Amino acid sequence: MGQLALLATLFAPFLGSIVLLFIPNRQPFLVRVVAAASAGVSLLASLYVFLAYDPDKGGFQFITNWAWSEELGIGFHIGVDGIGAPLVFASAILLFAGIFISWHIKDRTKEFYIFLLILAAATIGVFMSLDLFFLYFFYEMSVLPMYVLLGVWGSHTKGYLSMTDEEGRKLRDSVGFILNFGSNSKEYAAMKLTLFLSAGAVFALMGILLIYHFSPVQTFDILVLREVAHFDGTLATIIWVLVFFGFASIAPIWPLHSWSPVGHAAAPAATSMLHAGVLMKLGHFSIIRVAYEILPDATRELMPIAAVLCVFSIIYGGFVAYFAKDTKYVIGYSSSSHMGYVFLGMAALDYISLTGAVIYMFAHALATGMLFAMAGWVYDQTHTRDIPSLGGLVKNMPFLAGAFIIACMASVGMPGTVNFIAEIMIIVGSWEKYPFQVVVAVLGIVLTMAYLFKMMRGLFYGQMSPEYAHARDTSHWVDRLPLLLMIGCSIFFGIFPMHFYNVVRSTVVPMLDRINQVAPLVTQNTTGLLP
Amino acid sequence: MTFDLTLSGSDLLLLAPEIFLTIWLCVVLAVDFTFKRIDHENLAYLSVGGVIATLINLIWFDYTGVQGALFKDMFVLDGMAIFIKILVLISTALVLLASIDYVKSFKFFRGEYYFLVMMSALGMMFMASAQDLLSVFVTLEFSTFGFYVLVAYLREDQKSSEAGLKFFILGVFAAGLLAYGISLVYGETGTLVFSEMASTPGSIGLAIGFVMIFAALGFKIGAVPFHSWIPDTYQGAPTPVTAFLSIAPKVAALAILIRMFYIALATFKPMWALLFVVASIVSMTYGNIVAIAQKNIKRLLAYSGIAQIGNVMIGMAAGTKRGSDAILFYLLTYLFANLGAFAVVIGVSNLIKSDEIEDYNGLNRRSPFLAAAMLLFLLSLAGVPPLAGFIGKLYIFVAAIEQELYTLLIVGLINIVISMYYYLVVVKKMYINEPHDPTPLSVSTPLKTVIFVGIAGTLLLGIYPKPFIDWAVATTLMFSNIAAPTASDPAVLISLAGG
Repeated sequence: MGQLALLATLFAPFLGSIVLLFIPNRQPFLVRVVAAASAGVSLLASLYVFLAYDPDKGGFQFITNWAWSEELGIGFHIGVDGIGAPLVFASAILLFAGIFISWHIKDRTKEFYIFLLILAAATIGVFMSLDLFFLYFFYEMSVLPMYVLLGVWGSHTKGYLSMTDEEGRKLRDSVGFILNFGSNSKEYAAMKLTLFLSAGAVFALMGILLIYHFSPVQTFDILVLREVAHFDGTLATIIWVLVFFGFASIAPIWPLHSWSPVGHAAAPAATSMLHAGVLMKLGHFSIIRVAYEILPDATRELMPIAAVLCVFSIIYGGFVAYFAKDTKYVIGYSSSSHMGYVFLGMAALDYISLTGAVIYMFAHALATGMLFAMAGWVYDQTHTRDIPSLGGLVKNMPFLAGAFIIACMASVGMPGTVNFIAEIMIIVGSWEKYPFQVVVAVLGIVLTMAYLFKMMRGLFYGQMSPEYAHARDTSHWVDRLPLLLMIGCSIFFGIFPMHFYNVVRSTVVPMLDRINQVAPLVTQNTTGLLP
Repeated sequence: MTFDLTLSGSDLLLLAPEIFLTIWLCVVLAVDFTFKRIDHENLAYLSVGGVIATLINLIWFDYTGVQGALFKDMFVLDGMAIFIKILVLISTALVLLASIDYVKSFKFFRGEYYFLVMMSALGMMFMASAQDLLSVFVTLEFSTFGFYVLVAYLREDQKSSEAGLKFFILGVFAAGLLAYGISLVYGETGTLVFSEMASTPGSIGLAIGFVMIFAALGFKIGAVPFHSWIPDTYQGAPTPVTAFLSIAPKVAALAILIRMFYIALATFKPMWALLFVVASIVSMTYGNIVAIAQKNIKRLLAYSGIAQIGNVMIGMAAGTKRGSDAILFYLLTYLFANLGAFAVVIGVSNLIKSDEIEDYNGLNRRSPFLAAAMLLFLLSLAGVPPLAGFIGKLYIFVAAIEQELYTLLIVGLINIVISMYYYLVVVKKMYINEPHDPTPLSVSTPLKTVIFVGIAGTLLLGIYPKPFIDWAVATTLMFSNIAAPTASDPAVLISLAGG
């Protein structure tokens, strides 16, 4: 049953996109309903997977393993552990919410939903792949739809360029060393994102091929490789660096982040949600899946690199977000900044902090999803994202303003939301090993508060410009449902985190035991595996 | 050396596909001459029928395992020959179907067009079986004759005549190189049969001879630095001919390359592997970088084809059985994606009479079907999962890493990213830009069939390639003793991995 649910989670959106191909574009309502139905199936199935995951048993569950090509040692091997299950669930929530957020898209509705469903399904696929080939397969597959989604349904980012402040511009130019050529167009953003992520992906692919080549068994299967392929010395370092920086480019870790805010800002709301909410987590997840499982020794030795870089992520992202004048840039840079917390939690290699990092991925997905959804709504109503020119929208949008406050609180990590639990675990868990980074992280929270409240004030309070008097609130259930769903999940897991905690913990403990050399590397009987 | 030319019935069986196709193309020509009024469209279907019958014959051979050699190994029918012939015939059938609308624009010689396409196909089928330098020369020239005429088929179009002339002059030059190379090799070894050369000691004459043969074949497959005819010829030739030229001769010439280097020169592998490493790096990089600047879709596909051949040569550089398997599989994936892309180009140019990339603006609004198909084909060429091209590239890379060709691998991987840029530029024009002229475009049924076959192949090979990979593996069993990959030795690996 769980196995079936997992397959349904993955294949329902794919099937939905295939069905959409046969629906004519002049029936947009039917298109939306089919998309929503397939996403709904996926959501329910993933909820079942998440709840049915047995933390006492731990390990990988609901496994399906079909031989795909014996010649190349590839199997369609899927299943979830305590890290995959919540992320699959988060992806399904954001997909479902994203479908409703984009309910009012009029231009080529069918194509939009097809690409959105493929994007989300591929993301879900990564989170459940237990085969390096399929991990890469779904990873690369999730990047390409972004190009079309951004390019066709996105919007130009006049705003960033709306960092008109002298200080803000100076800050950006001095710290960001990967040059932004200053183009504001969505085409530029889309191309930059795709090429950047593909370049990261081929780096990772090189690492994957090296793993495949130097493992004693010619296979891409992660569960086999983690037992039989043990690397050390220079080889392990090379593979680790390729895998880490290849995947960290999507995460995005500090010097490799420059595609991300541009991409967020140009993307349509639902795509930004999926992009910031789950696509970025593909990076962390793939690092955990590949580096932590297959290269435990190298991870132990080299993870301090992440601990160093995450400081820059947190501070740099936070400051740019503070100075940015475009709502989506604020949220985009806040996401890059918050991804630094996940890296901190991962780098400490501590049970509590890694559990916190995984929960943080889930929590951040919901919080940032809400923020992007609402920024998208404001943009749809006012056709601007320039914070200084907006203001006083609370009169027209009381519901949205309330939801926005909750989302900001969640993003800051207020007790009662799941973000709080995650943040506190990262901070407590990393304190022993990286006290300096923890101080930075706490300062980062203050910074988060500063820029989010600044944005909230800029959007909803103060004087309203008369040209936005026609802006209206979300009144229809279609528009409110996704927001309520995300808020509900955030608060529910903030108050009842026990199952969530147990699920993640059940996986994190044996994984870190191997890395910290508490447990032997070979944990299963491998007789018959080695030739 | 005496030739025994007596043929028994079972020998004739091996030649059955070629004999059948020969008869059939004579029939097509005869029908064209006899019934002056016959609609050329029916001639096309007649030709396609013959090609499909030959295809079925070959598939039956493959299924029942009919194999053998004729004329002292000059003509070999083994698994690989069957595989290559099937590829050639699939592309022939698709090109014939895709030509139907295009041929309507010809003022005369409509019937001969189909005859010439099939004649070239026949030549390439013989190429797939050539295992002797003499038959290499004869079949290569045989297949090229048809193309000389086809490329210059639009008599009143200056570009087409220019393309024909360029192709002809360089083609003849390549033929001269080939003949000279063959004479050198014969002088050194005293034999023309690949398998008998395997034991010859190396000499400078042999090396020069084979480099010349490599150059002539490099001309056929369009590898840098023998590529200079490709862009102009592709641009000027009638588009269906370009489509044919972009896949079938390359497939057939690769069969000869594989046989020649794997059988005749197996002992000199380190040397020619280096040759292919260099050719591959140069082709990939040059093709991809120059493609970025192209404004014409046919030229873009021409340069992308040069880069793709660079990818294919990674498999040759590996020089193992897995390398040849990967090449065969890659060619299969390339066939569907490339012919599909050209079919879309044919469709668009039939309707708007232009091959400029600028005129693809807003194709998604004018014809969602053509735009979506083009998107799939281009992404497959770029190597994006879940499409066929990705599996092909991965297979090639796996073959390369087994031989630890790291430089080649890194260049190949970087080239994927470079190539993605220009493919995405076309995607941008189709999806993001607004059309200058929003009138919807409609596609004719035969062309739609071709595009659907392309889509089906691209998706099937990407999602479920297992039977095709297994097929490719089974066809090259004769190479299983050649340069077994060192990586499969577990003892070495365990010690490498510190186990």
